[in-house]
Amino acid sequence: MVGLSEGEQEFIKGGIAQDLRSDGRKRYTYRPIYVETGVIPQANGSARVRMGSTDVIASVKAELGRPSAMQPDKGKVAIFVDCSPTAEPTFEGRGGEELSAELSSALQHCLLGGKSGAGAGIDLSSLVVVEGKVCWDLYIDGLVISSDGNLLDALGAAIKAALSNTGIPSVHVAAEAASDEQPEVDISDEEFLQFDTSGVPVITTLTKVGKHYIVDATLEEESQMSSAVSISINRQGHICGMIKRGGVGLDPSVILDMISVANFVSRQLMDKLDSEIAAADADEDES
Amino acid sequence: MRNLQLSFNQTQKVRLEKALERLESLSSKSNPNSCVTVGDTIPVYEDGILKGHGTSDQKGELAATVCGVVERINKLIYVRALRARYKPETGDIVIGRVIEVVPKRWKLEINFTQDAILMLSSMNLPDGIQRRRTAVDELNMRSIFTENDLVCAEVRSSQGDGSLQLQARNQKYGKLERGQLLTVDPYLVKRRKQHFHHLEEYGIDLIIGCNGYIWIGEHVEARDKMVVDQGSNSEQLIAKCDKNSMDLDEQDGTCTPREARQNICRIANAIRVLSRLGFNITVEVILETVNLSNSLNLDIHDMLGSEFYVLVAESEAERRSLSKRKR
Repeated sequence: MVGLSEGEQEFIKGGIAQDLRSDGRKRYTYRPIYVETGVIPQANGSARVRMGSTDVIASVKAELGRPSAMQPDKGKVAIFVDCSPTAEPTFEGRGGEELSAELSSALQHCLLGGKSGAGAGIDLSSLVVVEGKVCWDLYIDGLVISSDGNLLDALGAAIKAALSNTGIPSVHVAAEAASDEQPEVDISDEEFLQFDTSGVPVITTLTKVGKHYIVDATLEEESQMSSAVSISINRQGHICGMIKRGGVGLDPSVILDMISVANFVSRQLMDKLDSEIAAADADEDES
Repeated sequence: MRNLQLSFNQTQKVRLEKALERLESLSSKSNPNSCVTVGDTIPVYEDGILKGHGTSDQKGELAATVCGVVERINKLIYVRALRARYKPETGDIVIGRVIEVVPKRWKLEINFTQDAILMLSSMNLPDGIQRRRTAVDELNMRSIFTENDLVCAEVRSSQGDGSLQLQARNQKYGKLERGQLLTVDPYLVKRRKQHFHHLEEYGIDLIIGCNGYIWIGEHVEARDKMVVDQGSNSEQLIAKCDKNSMDLDEQDGTCTPREARQNICRIANAIRVLSRLGFNITVEVILETVNLSNSLNLDIHDMLGSEFYVLVAESEAERRSLSKRKR
């Protein structure tokens, strides 16, 4: 992270105030998003998302496991993010742990709902195989390759793309009445249990700089932020999760305003993302 | 380098390929023998040559060890690598960021393997008098440049251990404010006579540093700036203290006006496009790109879209073929 001189900081803040950021974007414009799916062939699903210079990869691996005793009819999802040292030299070793932990918990919050599994953006009931005995465990891993701000949005988009690319093997269960599980996992080429991602929310981060909020902040703009609110909204316009970062307090009216802005912005982001994912899938099929 | 990470549709891909092919054919016509890759044999036309950087003796023949262009100077043959780190020479204009303030000097980071040093004695003093630097001057170093400031300076010399000494004795050099800094690859900036450009029609100062740092900012009059700065510094300090309570409209007054900001952003985006495409960054090319975007009435942010990339590549191919024909 390079420091910024006073003059540059003033320039950035002034730009945000005047609705003309350093690369000509308006406050609510995203950088061009570039999506590639199927980048990791060994995983059940994977995607790489680039937003400007921010580059993240998400992969989904599915394994059979036991559902938890409290929710026998739901599968399990674990999200973990790793910040690679290629993004920042300071991420080497344990340096990136703090950021990784923050991003992982933020994503879990936004996509998986509360501890009881209620309100999860990802439909967990579709992951169950035999109720109470066998379910799919999804391990979603995110990797930050290059960081230029707005990691949460990029990771959310990557996870959505990876999930849409995920093929869960169909499982045939032998009709056993015993309490031991004995499923026959038919990992045929018919992996056509494509995960249904229409309900998966996208995450929109609104960064407050001065009096205004911006969407998709670059690293320089993030260094000037006072606080940031990340909201995950699904296609129906419902809020699935919300996180506030940054030390400066926010008035509740400001937060309500941010929510309405996020609603508006996330709709466009979702459309853009869906079209990019479709294009990426088409490209993948061609190659 | 060409992996532009943009979604091009089919026609755009075709057009881009064509333009890039045209550019390659234009350049290779001029220098048939001089581009080499690793392992290529370098043709040697005389005896008693000196083998320079990037070459090695392989079984009696001269082979290249890097990808680049073969340069021959008298009896010296060497290969100049294309994508090398910035290599400073005396007289280069560079832009650096202050990372440390140590007794009697500032340490600047200039996109080089080592940090450059700007001595207090190589800087003009605020009062403009030429005199010996006293201890008071040393204590006031922070008021001239503090950490993270952007400084424009000239390379004075490079020491034996490879470290650089800079100087900023001219009126043109010094602190850079009210603008933005861009980083491009150093090999895209060639040495020219002029690195400071005042673009009158836009009212913008453009400084193309040889180290790949390019500064685009509002025009500042070539200064008795130090004297002026002292006065405005105190005003700025007061303004900053009241910043949080100040109305934003007032703040806009001290900030860059919208017109200048649009120009700065347009030029910055033009440079971004050129550097992504791997074209040399010169004022002419930048101005042409900006004119192109203006003539198409493109929104500033659309300059970073795929259509404009293709157009810039095509216009560059056009320009180079025209200049070749003129010769």
